[in-house]
Amino acid sequence: MNKLNENPIYNNDIVKLFAIATVFWGIVGFAVGVFIALQMAFPVLNFGEYLTFGRLRPLHTSAVVFAFGGNALFATSYFSVQRTCRTRLWGDNWAKFTFWGYQFFIVMAAIGYVTGVTQAKEYAEPEWYADLWLTFVWVAYLVVFMMTLKNRREPHIYVGNWFFLAFIVTVAVLHLANNVAVPVSFLGAKSYPAWGGVQSAMIQWWYAHNAVGFFLTAGFLGIMYYFVPKRAGRPVYSYRLSILHFWSLIFMYIWAGPHHLHYTALPDWAQTLGMTFSIMLWMPSWGGMINGMMTLSGAWHKLREDPVLRFMIISLAFYGMSTFEGPLMAIKTVNALSHYTDWTIGHVHSGALGWVAFISFGALYHLVPILWKRDGLYSMKLVNLHLWIATLGIVLYITAMWVSGIMQGLMWRSYDSMGFLEYSFVETVMAMHPFYVIRAVGGGLFLIGALIMAYNLYRTARGDKSPEMIAAEEIAHA
Amino acid sequence: MIDWLSNNAGMSGLIFFFLVFLFVVGWAYRPKAKESMEAHKYIPLEGDE
Repeated sequence: MNKLNENPIYNNDIVKLFAIATVFWGIVGFAVGVFIALQMAFPVLNFGEYLTFGRLRPLHTSAVVFAFGGNALFATSYFSVQRTCRTRLWGDNWAKFTFWGYQFFIVMAAIGYVTGVTQAKEYAEPEWYADLWLTFVWVAYLVVFMMTLKNRREPHIYVGNWFFLAFIVTVAVLHLANNVAVPVSFLGAKSYPAWGGVQSAMIQWWYAHNAVGFFLTAGFLGIMYYFVPKRAGRPVYSYRLSILHFWSLIFMYIWAGPHHLHYTALPDWAQTLGMTFSIMLWMPSWGGMINGMMTLSGAWHKLREDPVLRFMIISLAFYGMSTFEGPLMAIKTVNALSHYTDWTIGHVHSGALGWVAFISFGALYHLVPILWKRDGLYSMKLVNLHLWIATLGIVLYITAMWVSGIMQGLMWRSYDSMGFLEYSFVETVMAMHPFYVIRAVGGGLFLIGALIMAYNLYRTARGDKSPEMIAAEEIAHA
Repeated sequence: MIDWLSNNAGMSGLIFFFLVFLFVVGWAYRPKAKESMEAHKYIPLEGDE
C-alpha cells in the first residue's frame, strides 16, 4: 500500500560516513595518480622497493575505482534507495558493517600492493584472504539493499535502483568467478588461480571489462537516474527509454570482454564476438546519455545558473564520448594500432575522470548540504572553479594520451625499405616524454580541483557561509 | 531433448535471450501503458529529502 504522506526517518548517518570516505579516498587516489604520472615522466622518482611504479600503479587504480568510486556508489545508493522507496535503510548495524568492512578491505588490499602481495590480475590484484573478506561485505551490501527494496512503501521500484541492483549482483558474480584460487598455505598470502592459460585470460578480461560495465557504468547510471532529475527539478526525459536502456545494456555488456584480447591466443570467433557486442553497445550507451541530457529539455538555462548541474551534464557528455571511443577501439583494425599504447590510458581516463568522477562530484555537491541540513553549499564560486580546473585537467590528460598513444603505435609499426623496424623501443619512450609531462600537469589540475571540493564541502558541513552567500541572503532580505 | 539443447546451446540461448529482450521492449512500449509507465519518472521528485 502506498503511504507517501508518512515521513520515514532516513538513515543519513551511514550516507555521511560513505560521503566522507569518498572524498578522502578520492584525494588519496588522485594524488597517487599524479605521483605515478610523474614517475613515468621522471623515472628517478621510483624510490626503493615499496614506492616503485609497479607497486603504486595498482594502488592508484584500486584507490580511484574501488575506494573512491565504491564509496561514492555506497553513499548514493543508500541515499537514493531510501528516498525512492520511501523507507528507512534496512539494518542499521549491517549497513554500518558494510562501511567499516569495506574500508578494512581497502586498507588490506593497499598494504598488499606496496608490499608486493598480488595475484597479478588487473583490477583483481588482492589475494585470496582479501577476496574472501570482500565477498562477505558484498553479500551484506546486497542484503541491506534488497531488504530496503522489500520494505518499500512506493509500489514501483524506480529504474535507478534497477541499475544499482544489477551493479551489486553482477560485481558479486564477476568477483567470485575470477578469484577462484587455491592458497599455498593457510597462513600464507600466496595462492594460485584455478584457471589456466587462455581460459584464465578470458575470465580475467570478462571480469575486468564488466568491472567497467557494471561497477563504473551501471552503478553510476543509477546515480545519474536519481541525481540528474533531482538536481534539475524535472523528471527524466523518458521512463520507457530508461527501461530499454537498462535491459539492452545488461544484455550486451557481459559479452564485450574479449575485445581486450585481440590478436592473442584467444579463438578468433571469440575476438569477433567481443568486437561485435562492443559495437552494439553504442546504442544503449547513447540512448542512456540522450535520456539523461534531455532531462534538461526546455530548461537549459539551469545549466547557466547551477554549476552542480553542469558537473552532471558534462559527465554525461564524457560518458557519450568515451562510450563512442570504446567501441571504436574494439574494432580489430583500430585495436591493432591502439592496443598496448597510451591511447587506452587516455580512453580509460576520459571515462573515469570525465564520467565517473564528475557525476560523483555532482552527487556529492547535492548530497552534503542535505545530509548536514544546510541551506546550500558554502560557495558556488568554488564549485565553478573546481569544474573548470578539473575540465581543463581532463582535456590536457586525454589529448596528451591521444597524441602519445597514436604516435607510439605508429612508431612500433614503422618499417624501413629493408624491412627493419624504424625505431627502437627506447626511442618511442623518449618521444613520449613531453606528453607524460602534460599528462602529469593535467592530473595535477584534477587533484587541485578535488582539494577545492574537499575544502568547500568541509565548510558546508560546518555550516559556514561564504561572503557571496551572505551577500545573496542580504539581497533576499532587502 | 537435453542432447539437442547441449549441442545447440549457443544458437538456442541466443534466440531465447533475444526473444526475452523483444518481449521486454514490447512490454515497455505497449501503447496502452504509456501514461502509467511514464508516471514512474516522477518518483524521485515526490516525497521529502
